[in-house]
Amino acid sequence: MKNKVLIKDIMLLTKRSLIAAIRNPYAYIPNFIISLFFLFVYTAGIGAVTDLPTLEGVNYTAFILPVSVVSAAIGAATGAVQTLVKDLESGYFARLLLTPTSRLAIVLGPIITGMLQLVVQTILLTMVAILMGVRIYRGIGGFIIILVLVTGLGLAFTGYAATVALVTKSSHAVQMSTMIFFPMLFLSTTFVPLDLIETGWLRIAAIINPTTYIFEGMRALLIEGWRSAYILYGFLVGSIASVITITIATKSAARAFNGE
Amino acid sequence: MSNRIIEVSQLSKTYKEGTEAVKNISFSVKEGEFFAFLGPNGAGKSTTIKMLTTLMKPTFGEGKIAGYDLLQKPEKIRLQIGVALQNTAIDPALTGRELIILQGRLFGFSKAEAIKRAKELLELVGLTKDADKQCGKYSGGMQRRLDLAMTLVHRPKVLFLDEPTVGLDPASRMDLWQEIKKLNKEYGTTIFLTTQYLEEADEVADRVGIINDGEIVALEKPEALKSSLMLDKIKLFFRSIQEKEKAQKAMMEITSNLESLDNQIILHLQKNREYLPVILGKLAAVHVFPIDIQIASPTLDDVFLQIIRDKKSTNENRGV
Repeated sequence: MKNKVLIKDIMLLTKRSLIAAIRNPYAYIPNFIISLFFLFVYTAGIGAVTDLPTLEGVNYTAFILPVSVVSAAIGAATGAVQTLVKDLESGYFARLLLTPTSRLAIVLGPIITGMLQLVVQTILLTMVAILMGVRIYRGIGGFIIILVLVTGLGLAFTGYAATVALVTKSSHAVQMSTMIFFPMLFLSTTFVPLDLIETGWLRIAAIINPTTYIFEGMRALLIEGWRSAYILYGFLVGSIASVITITIATKSAARAFNGE
Repeated sequence: MSNRIIEVSQLSKTYKEGTEAVKNISFSVKEGEFFAFLGPNGAGKSTTIKMLTTLMKPTFGEGKIAGYDLLQKPEKIRLQIGVALQNTAIDPALTGRELIILQGRLFGFSKAEAIKRAKELLELVGLTKDADKQCGKYSGGMQRRLDLAMTLVHRPKVLFLDEPTVGLDPASRMDLWQEIKKLNKEYGTTIFLTTQYLEEADEVADRVGIINDGEIVALEKPEALKSSLMLDKIKLFFRSIQEKEKAQKAMMEITSNLESLDNQIILHLQKNREYLPVILGKLAAVHVFPIDIQIASPTLDDVFLQIIRDKKSTNENRGV
């Protein structure tokens, strides 16, 4: 019974965030265009690296697609958290806390909306990549796993930014916290595989960076001959990080007004 | 005992940075009562309301709303109370109708019940015509009325209103008061209102509590509060400082509760129609005639000052 109510409330609050998102397309269209831009510009600008030994014969658009998808995912996650910030600033969040709804449903509503947005963007970006000549090596099943991997990363990022939002209640602080996007996206195997990163510190950063495992996991699904163990690593990294950050965000929601 | 819908005992809140926002307050509110909680900015009104509405945990003390303990049964309390906080708590992207329906659904109404309730409430607050517009496009007054409608969805027994009229134009203010009074008189809803405006509390409240610096300094019926505190302020203006000084000596025979500023004297006197002729008589006797006389009713600030002054002198007398 309790679970039934929770699911109903999560659906109601997701629907509300979706309506708000649909009525405000300016919030997510620029982010999608930037991700599309990454796909075109990197393919055209540095696609020639596929002449290097490790990348020989690899379709560079397939190699860079995960970067474009993760960039879109982080944008969608940031959008979801901005909805929370707006609710905190307008007092609507307090109004929701005053209903019998679970705190989890209040936090999950905008987050699920962000994830739906992320899924739609990933589908569109992949369709564009297919038009550019990409063939998904693991087929439709592989594509579904790509969606799972990117959702894991998106959720983890949302949980992190939502915690910042709930603790600081400041849109500026959230904006600052999303700057972590740059090291996450670029201190990784963004443009070349790990074997080709020769600079010591960048190599270490890429090994530590969880995004690396999401990128490589996706590449293992997109490109023939890529190390498939990365799919499992990517899945593990995404699930562990998202469980941790969403749990902390939910706890912060209950404490948001306690001033303790 | 049973008809006390709000009971608070030694409630306190200290924020983590050390500010003691509320210090050991105790009071109760009866079912159906219209209770006004007054105080200047930062006195502890909003903190008290947040504790009573389960949004904030007290550091110490206890409270019961409709028989349920604040710490033990917050979820039961949320079903009994409606809360309108200082900001109008709405999602501007949704329409008024969508917001009320969502609120109803979150309180466990079926879809059909929520739609029906939304229709009733939109009518009650006069928003039927604009129900399907995005509420971000509503005026401030309309947003406030929508906020009130959302607060009432689940027919709460107690309505907490935190400075509901701040930022409203006089017409919207009057409309909102009509609604709130109607809820109290016709539906028996208990109202717990915070405000900075004494005149608002005076007009509508059955009882008034005054909080200052986290402590309750008065808890009275408005008439009692007025008769004990209501002083009129009489300002007398003179041509020169010499004339003022002469007049001041004469005024000391009437009251020592006066202030002297440049060429004016301000007398604080119990509201009484007879004081003016007495003042003018005394001034005529010393051949001083004021160039202007102003009589002002006290503001809430004056009431506070008076209460604080009284409190200070009581403490001094006790040697505290």
